[in-house]
Formats: sequence, structure tokens, C-alpha cells
Amino acid sequence: MAEFNALTESVIKGDIKSAVAETQKALETGQDIQSIIDDGLIRAMDDVGERFSKGQIFVPQMLRSAKTMQECMKLIQPHFKEGDVKAKGKVVIGTVKGDLHDIGKNLVSMMLEGAGFTIIDLGVDVNPEAFVEKVKETEADIMGMSALLSTTMPAMRHTIDALKEAGIRDQVKVMIGGAPVTDDFAREIKADAYAPDAGSAVIQTKKLLGLS
Amino acid sequence: MRKPKNHKPKKKKQTVRLPPSKRHKPKYVWLNVLPDDLWIRVRRGKTIWEALQKAAVHLEGDCGGLGKCGKCKVKVLSFIGPPSKEATELLTEEEIKDGLRLTCRNKIKKDLVIYLGEPQPDQEFFQILKTGYRPPLQLDPLIDKRLVTISPELQKQELSEMDRIRRAMGPEGRNLQVPLHCLRTLPQIFGKTSYHGAVVLHENSMLAWQDWESVGRRYGLVFDIGTSTVVGKLISLLDGHEVAAISHLNSQIRHGTNVISRLQFIKDNKDGLKRLHDLLLKDMRGITQRLLEVGELRPEEIFIAVAAGNTTMQHILLALDPSGIAEAPFSPIITEGIVVKAEQAGLKLHPEALLYVMPAKSGYIGGDLISVILASEAAEQDSEMILGLDLGTNGEIFLGNRSRLLTCSTAAGPALEGARISHGAIARVGAIEAVRMVDGQIQFQIIGNVKPKGICGSGLVDLVAVLLHCGIIDCEGLIHPTTNEDTAHLNGRLVENSGVYDFLIASPEESHNGRPIYLKQNDVRELQLAKGAIAAGIRSLMHEMKIEVGAIRHIYLAGALGNYINPFSAMRIGLIPTVNPDIVKSIGNAASTGASMVLLCRNSWHMAKLLADFIDHVELSHRADFNQHFIEHMDFPRDNLW
Repeated sequence: MAEFNALTESVIKGDIKSAVAETQKALETGQDIQSIIDDGLIRAMDDVGERFSKGQIFVPQMLRSAKTMQECMKLIQPHFKEGDVKAKGKVVIGTVKGDLHDIGKNLVSMMLEGAGFTIIDLGVDVNPEAFVEKVKETEADIMGMSALLSTTMPAMRHTIDALKEAGIRDQVKVMIGGAPVTDDFAREIKADAYAPDAGSAVIQTKKLLGLS
Repeated sequence: MRKPKNHKPKKKKQTVRLPPSKRHKPKYVWLNVLPDDLWIRVRRGKTIWEALQKAAVHLEGDCGGLGKCGKCKVKVLSFIGPPSKEATELLTEEEIKDGLRLTCRNKIKKDLVIYLGEPQPDQEFFQILKTGYRPPLQLDPLIDKRLVTISPELQKQELSEMDRIRRAMGPEGRNLQVPLHCLRTLPQIFGKTSYHGAVVLHENSMLAWQDWESVGRRYGLVFDIGTSTVVGKLISLLDGHEVAAISHLNSQIRHGTNVISRLQFIKDNKDGLKRLHDLLLKDMRGITQRLLEVGELRPEEIFIAVAAGNTTMQHILLALDPSGIAEAPFSPIITEGIVVKAEQAGLKLHPEALLYVMPAKSGYIGGDLISVILASEAAEQDSEMILGLDLGTNGEIFLGNRSRLLTCSTAAGPALEGARISHGAIARVGAIEAVRMVDGQIQFQIIGNVKPKGICGSGLVDLVAVLLHCGIIDCEGLIHPTTNEDTAHLNGRLVENSGVYDFLIASPEESHNGRPIYLKQNDVRELQLAKGAIAAGIRSLMHEMKIEVGAIRHIYLAGALGNYINPFSAMRIGLIPTVNPDIVKSIGNAASTGASMVLLCRNSWHMAKLLADFIDHVELSHRADFNQHFIEHMDFPRDNLW
């Protein structure tokens, strides 16, 4: 495995300038593109997610790392060849009907994007039908729902019911989160996973898709 | 905003003064005596002994206040520092530890709370703010009384009794209306008072004809209905003086601590609304009874009450279903201010007594915030930009002046009330309420002068500010050992736990229950979220108003936290923008102040109604810039102001 420690460090620190320089260097020295991404960038973001879950870094630092990674990806993209990079998975995400809080959901989106997933963000106050339609349309692997109010938590159950009615419940994994949401609640409504924070959302997503 | 026309011709121009700054030392302070919850107005500098003597409160004591017998000890709940050397000799170590002090050796320099007798274990003291600064206003209360004599000539004329009253009152009586209850009692009371009595007036309606001697007995009630506490005040309509103030924890708390949980309770239970309404009314009746006892009044003597609360509480008061507020689009049943018979709401006062319920703006901008804005007089400022904050689980913010006034509500989370903090506490005995750095050592100020049990909102803000200052917390919010030599001794208080540090506030020996108290890394994160949301709310309003920090002339902090929070600490952690601290002022329990302004001045009611229309509610969840500001303001400011 190639050494990308300097790149990894820069992404963790959120130092865009040095991360971009390191990526440039790796590309110029002919490193394998998949390896730059997996062993450099994504390894860094895994570390960032873990630090976030522990409380060692906070939202602004995590976002800066995510942004750093995206800048590096921009450099790498022109070098992609067909089939070079496997898409990791598609995630449809949104805040449930009746709820307008989206900060947590946005953090999850950004972290998942940073971890290499494709994100389809439906925004806030999303109807069960809208979730179902988007999951069908995009053939998403994961559906993520967020609720910050205990009064809007039942909408998560309704959305899962809507998936069942549409006959696609077994085609998509459901992950939920938000301040009042618990692991017990996730089990109760038969969601596939509960993520208490954005870092865990990445870990859970990977687990659900058998990537870790 | 234009002021509505006065009902009466203007007597003189209203004087507008600004709230006194924190440094201003008032001539009079309040002594609150528990468990009776008696409030005594005292000249600053008098001893507790002198104040209690004057109020005829009996205390043990042989020496007459000379500091010799050591018998006049009481439990002091407000922070007052250690006893003097001579007093120390008269108290046992145990007594000092329990916060006991000699009344004759302690001068009252600020508002003070004491406890007489043996504290009952279930009778805990909560620090609830009842007082506040009220701007001067022209007295024109909602209820007025007039002496009316029906002359012998009038009595002889062929007129109805009602027309006799109308004639006797002159032009003012021309359109006088009279409710049925009053009409029914009229013949009887006319006879008793020999046609010479006091007319109780509300607008152009006569609520009662009373004995002429009652003309000077004019009182009204105001209620500040908070999600966690209910405050009631008895106010003299003659001079605007607060006769008594009493608070009670909102009994609905057993069904959840926040508005959302109450809404959930109503949704989940068929009789949920009725049960919450009944609990609230029981609290309000209890408060009313105590207030009337203090004022030596009978319920029938009260004709008026004004209530302010968040939109959900106001709905529950009127037994209106607030469920619509629970989810988007957050629709309440009513927002306008309304006047109902107090009896219909369930208050037992005079049968014709009226209850004014403050106008609200939306599901989350309630009558309490309208009251706060009213008390701040922000809408009467011609050009000076006012920023106001009412901090609680929801941080409510307003910005502007007469030309434009913006408000928003941010879901700050409960960290500032001590919730979701590992050793967080609400402001009650044992809570650390302030933290200072004295000669390189951290000093804690604890409610009740006991060993600490936890930390409340104002203490948390102080502690994090102090630790930022010491380099123990960095501007990204990480707790780590400091490299600053002057404060390196504090590194000994850091405890490492799988890669993160926690700060030891009190060791088992230093704490109240023998268990250590920590500020954990995640507690700092909770605070960052709370202060980030409020700071971002402020920035979003500033952005909408197109102004910079420099344009803000006054910052008003309302509510209990606003009163106890140290402005320097609030700035150090970035909760409020960095400004000249002189412009930051606490306006106390401004929600009840606003309600009492309505009680005392009819114009204020119209102002409140206009305010609700005039203010613009900025819905933050629709704004892209709010998230950007939120993320930017989660970090602590780099600049060290201190």
C-alpha cells in the first residue's frame, strides 16, 4: 500500500492548500487513483468521523475536512477512467414531514458525501410519498430520515409504512437519526439502523452496505 | 412604528429612560423571605436583622442586633461570600457549610433570598426571576374607579337607575354599558351606599357599583406563564407599585419539561388539554390566593388580570387546542390578543373580572416575547438599533427599532438551562451560578452557599469563558492541557478518557454528595451548539436588516438567564457579539413587566397589538445563510477580550 500519510494528515487538519499539493504530487508520481482515494482521502475521513464521534473535533472542523476532501477529488476527477472508481452507494436523505430542522441532516449528508457516497437530499418537511418516489427513481441503497421534534417522530413510521405499501421496503435500507430518536425507537419502527451523530451515520451506512 | 392615539388627551410628554446599567447601585433592594415567599423592599445597606424587624418578622435574638448572641441565624440562599471573622466565631463549621449567617451581621447590598426556619427537604428553593426594570409610563390602567353621587334631584326624576348613573357621570357616562350581573345587584347596592359610591369602569362598561370607600382599593394581577414556572404579581393600579410577587413551578412539568412534550401529551391523551389546563389553573389560583392574602384583599375586589406566555401556554390557559403548533406549518388557533371573562378561563375573581391575554405573532413567537419587546421599548426607538435576547430552550431574538423590527426563534437546545449537560442543574440550591478567576484560582459562586451539586446555565457560560481564558479550552472547543505557565496548575484538574479530556469542577471532597463534578468534552459541544444557534440567529437578523455589529446601540438580555449571565463571559464565548459591555443590559423578567405595562396603561395594550402586526418574523429554517452562520459560530472567538 502506498504511503499517503501527509495527504491524510492534511485532510484531517482541513488544510486545503497542503492537501491539494499532496494530491497533485501523488498524481504526478503516478500513484494509483483508487489508492489515492481509498488509502489517502477516505482513510482520512474515516479518522475524522471517529474523532467527531469521540468529541475530539466538532462540526466546523469536520466540515472543513469534508471540504478539503472535495477539493482533492476535483483534482483527481479528470484522471478518472471508465470503471476506475466504483460508486459506493446512493443515499436518499431528508427531514420528515412536519419538521423543518435540517442542520443535523445536512451534516450527515456532507459526511456521507465525504465518505464517497452519492447523496440525494430532499430537504425538509418531506412527505412519505416523496421519499418513496425518490427511492424508486434513483434505486437508492439507503434512505435516511431525520426528525428533531418528538411530535414529528411518528412520520418516520409513516414513511416506512409507505415504503412497504409501495412494495420496495426490502430494496432499501432505512437509517434514522435526530435529537429525540433512540436505538429503541429505530427497532420499534423496524428501521435498519440508528445513527446518533454524523460520524456514526457514515459507520452505519458502511455497515448496512457491507463495506466495513 | 407609530404609536396609537391615546384615549385621553396627553397630559404631558412621556419620559423615556433607559434601564439602569449593571453598575448602577439601586437605592432600594428586595429581600425575599422563604418559605413564605415574602418580598420586603429595603434600603440598600440595612442589615437583614433591621429589615426583618421593620417587617415585623419574628426572629430569635437576645442582643438586639449587636452580633453577640449568635441566635439570629438564617439560611441565606443568594451568594453572599463567607461570614465576617466575628460572625464566624458565633457559627459552627457545619452551620457555615449549610449557608447559615447572622442576620444582624449581614448588610443587604443586592437582592437577597433567605430562608427562615428548618428547610423542608421537599421545599427546594429555585432561583426564579420575578423582578425587572419597568420603563416609566403614564398611568391609565385598564380598570378605573370613579366616585359618583346621584344627587337628590336626580333621584326624584323619572329615570331608570342606569340613566341616573349616566347623568351623574356626565359626558363620560353617556355610552355607559352595564353587564347583567351588575344590573341585578344594583338596587341592593344602591340602597346600601345611599346613592354615593364608586363605579368600577372598564372602557365604557360599568363592572360594579361599590361602596365609595373602596375607591382607593384598585389592584390588578399579572401572570407570566412560562413552560417551567408561573409568576404572578399583585399590582396597585393607583401608583403602579408591585405589592407582591409569587412564583410556582408550572405543575404541567410532570408531563414534560418543554413545549413539545406538552403538545405531545395533548396529542396522545384524549383529555390531555383539559388536564394541562386544570393543572395550570390550579397553579394560577394558588398564586392568586397567596397574592391576595399578602395584599389583604378578597377575590371579588380584583377586576382585572393580564397574562403573557408562549403561544402554547396561552392556548392552554384558554383551553384552546395548541396541537397545530407541534409540526410544520406550526399553526396556532389564534395569535391576536384577546379579552375574556376571567371566570371563563377558570380564575376566581370578581364575576365580571376580565382577563387580557397578550397578542402573539406565531406558534413560536408568543405573547411573552411581545411583552418583552414592549418592556424593552425597542419599537419606540427612532433610529438606535436594539438587539434583545430572551434565552431559554428556545432562544428568542429581536432586532430593530421604530422603522423595522425583526424577530426569530432559534432551537438553541436546553444546554443554557443546564439540561443535556453531564452535571447540569437548573438554578436551585447547590447550582454553580457564576465562576471567576481570582489570583490564578478558579472560584465558584453557588446558590445557597453550600457545596456544589451541579452547574446551571450562567455558571456554564462563565466556566467555559474562564477556561478559554486559561487555555484549557481552545477556540475549537477542545479541552486539553494548557501551555500557559500562569494557569498550568489547572492541568491537574484534567482527566483523560480515551483521547478526550474532562475538566474536574469539584472533587468528591469538594462536592455536595461526595461524587466528582465534571465539565465533560461533550458538555462543551452542547454549549457550542446552543451558543452557535443563538449567535447565528443574531447574524441572520443582522444580515436581513443589513447592519453590522457596530450599528447596535443596546443589547437587552431578558429572562432569568439574561439576568444572571455575565456579559463579559457571554461575549467571550461568542453568545452575543463583541461590543462595549456598557451597552449590554439585563431587563429582568421582562415578560411580566410587559404584562404589567398593559395592566397599567391602556395604550400599552394597543401598542402590544400593533407590535404583533408590526414585527417581522424571520423563519430561520427557510434561510440558507442561517446554516452557514451556525457553523461559523460554533467555534469560540479567538480574541481574548479580558
